[in-house]
Amino acid sequence: MRTVLIVEDEWAIADWLEVLLSENAFNVLVAGNGREALDILHRDTPDLVLTDFMMPFVDGAGLIAAMGQEERLRLIPVVVMTSLLEHVVRDRAGRFRAYLRKPFREADLMKIIGEIFPDDTVNA
Amino acid sequence: MSGDSGRFATGVPGLDAILGGGVFDGGIYIIQGAPGAGKTILGNQICFAQAAQGRNALYITLLAESHARMIGHMRRLTFFDEAAIPDRMSYVGAFKTLEDDGLRGLLDVVRREVRTRNASILVLDGLITVHEKARSELELKKFIHELQTQAAFSNCTMFLLTSAFDADAHPPEHTMVDGLIELQSALHGRRAERSLQVHKLRGSWFMGGKHSYRITEHGHSIYPRIEALLETPSVWDSADGPMVSVGIGGVDRMLGGGVDTHSVTVVLGPSGSGKTTAGLQFLTGGSAHEPAMLFGFHENPMALRIKADSLKLPLKSRGDKVTLMWRPQTEAVLDEVATELLSTIRQNGIRRLVIDGIEGFSKLTDEKARIGSFLSALCNELRALGVTTLATAETDHAGMTPGQPLKGVNQTGLSAVAENIIALHLAALRSENHRLMTILKSRDRRTDMRMRRFEIIDGGIVLDADFHSAERILRDISSQGPAPTPSTDLKLTGE
Repeated sequence: MRTVLIVEDEWAIADWLEVLLSENAFNVLVAGNGREALDILHRDTPDLVLTDFMMPFVDGAGLIAAMGQEERLRLIPVVVMTSLLEHVVRDRAGRFRAYLRKPFREADLMKIIGEIFPDDTVNA
Repeated sequence: MSGDSGRFATGVPGLDAILGGGVFDGGIYIIQGAPGAGKTILGNQICFAQAAQGRNALYITLLAESHARMIGHMRRLTFFDEAAIPDRMSYVGAFKTLEDDGLRGLLDVVRREVRTRNASILVLDGLITVHEKARSELELKKFIHELQTQAAFSNCTMFLLTSAFDADAHPPEHTMVDGLIELQSALHGRRAERSLQVHKLRGSWFMGGKHSYRITEHGHSIYPRIEALLETPSVWDSADGPMVSVGIGGVDRMLGGGVDTHSVTVVLGPSGSGKTTAGLQFLTGGSAHEPAMLFGFHENPMALRIKADSLKLPLKSRGDKVTLMWRPQTEAVLDEVATELLSTIRQNGIRRLVIDGIEGFSKLTDEKARIGSFLSALCNELRALGVTTLATAETDHAGMTPGQPLKGVNQTGLSAVAENIIALHLAALRSENHRLMTILKSRDRRTDMRMRRFEIIDGGIVLDADFHSAERILRDISSQGPAPTPSTDLKLTGE
């Protein structure tokens, strides 16, 4: 079972993603912002990070930068979920695997996850 | 955008005039209103206006719509600037923090984010959620007090949005904040009218009472009540200049040479009596280079051009020196219309103005008691702006009472706004309708007040050289017997 870390300051979106991914056989961890995410990453190594961009304490760019500095975390694929335009995110954040513009549909997310883990069976 | 020391304009049209110049740096303000009142739009509009000035704004949501939806909605409004996000305008959710860590946790988010983002504007959307989360009134007071301290020390102006409002209640936070702005909506018949009211503003004069606002693709536009905004005219009235022709030679002679510059003249008469024709003659009666304008509620610019052409009046040749502004009485708001009118006059340097159908203003509001003071303030401002005005007003079709040809012509409320009053009549004599004109009032001027018969021909209204024809018509009507009592529904006061 793969583990996904959801980093999202809007609780309703975080809850929705948690339920969705749990139903699709993922082990789900949830952080309310980048700082909480780094606390979780200190002890866990998820297979995927889904992160919002504008968040309190540590934002998406800060989270991606911090992950990039640690060997254990550097290769974890990151999907940025945001209302911002993609070029705005790319100008401000380092490496990330995929961009998902909010609001998105369940199928959009599952398609991206399917592309990241092509050998897995997900209910897209 | 910064004005006097420590104060800045919100950038929301009309709001700063009501606030006496804007809000204070480091102040804390509550914006409250029922769902749908436009709090979120107003909060975003203030943020984007400041972001456009190079300041950093932060929007923190509690139990509000998702950021994606909010941004999606804001994207349709002209003040929205995608390029400002996330550096000068950022959105942060803090409900989970409030849930998990209480008011203390939320204060921590605010303090941290304001500092990190160097925000000088903060909107906290969902104060009611803080209210509900607070375990006691004391805890809520402490929260507001700490926010005030943060606002002051970080020089960040904070707006707290809440849907909670009970006019009879006095929540503790109301006594603590620097300002309280309420957005309201009331039904007038089937029509909803929005209004904004400032209940409190520390450290500044503000314009009390309710002020209409509209939400359009440009966001909020707030229209201060004209009689409050122009309680005294915006500029001092200059000394009277030379007399101004009304564009009808015979009327100029009856008035002793014309009307005073900067004066207001009202032309009363029933439909078809020639009021708009008189207005068009006044419009084109000045020099070809004098900026002139016709503002009307009834006839659109195309209809007016056709009418002027058929009367052979030189409207077309005046080109852009003449402005035609048409405002149908549909869903317009009284103060909005007056604001647009005055704004156009200022922009175009109008010196000669026709208001075709001045009674139209009273149809834009259910608050009839306002109209007298509204027109008084409007006309005072027109004088101060150096505008000479001719306004038409419609009366009922009514026959003449022998011996009392002016009976029923209600001029109540007009004296306060008009230096000159001219009445047009339709006088039915057997099968023929005659047009008659008289001057009812001409302030401080020797006037020929005897009636004149007039015709409308090429070039417009032409008066008989003397009163004989008018007298003959009136005498014949008298011998014909009494006509129905005339009446008018023209009311320019709240009576």
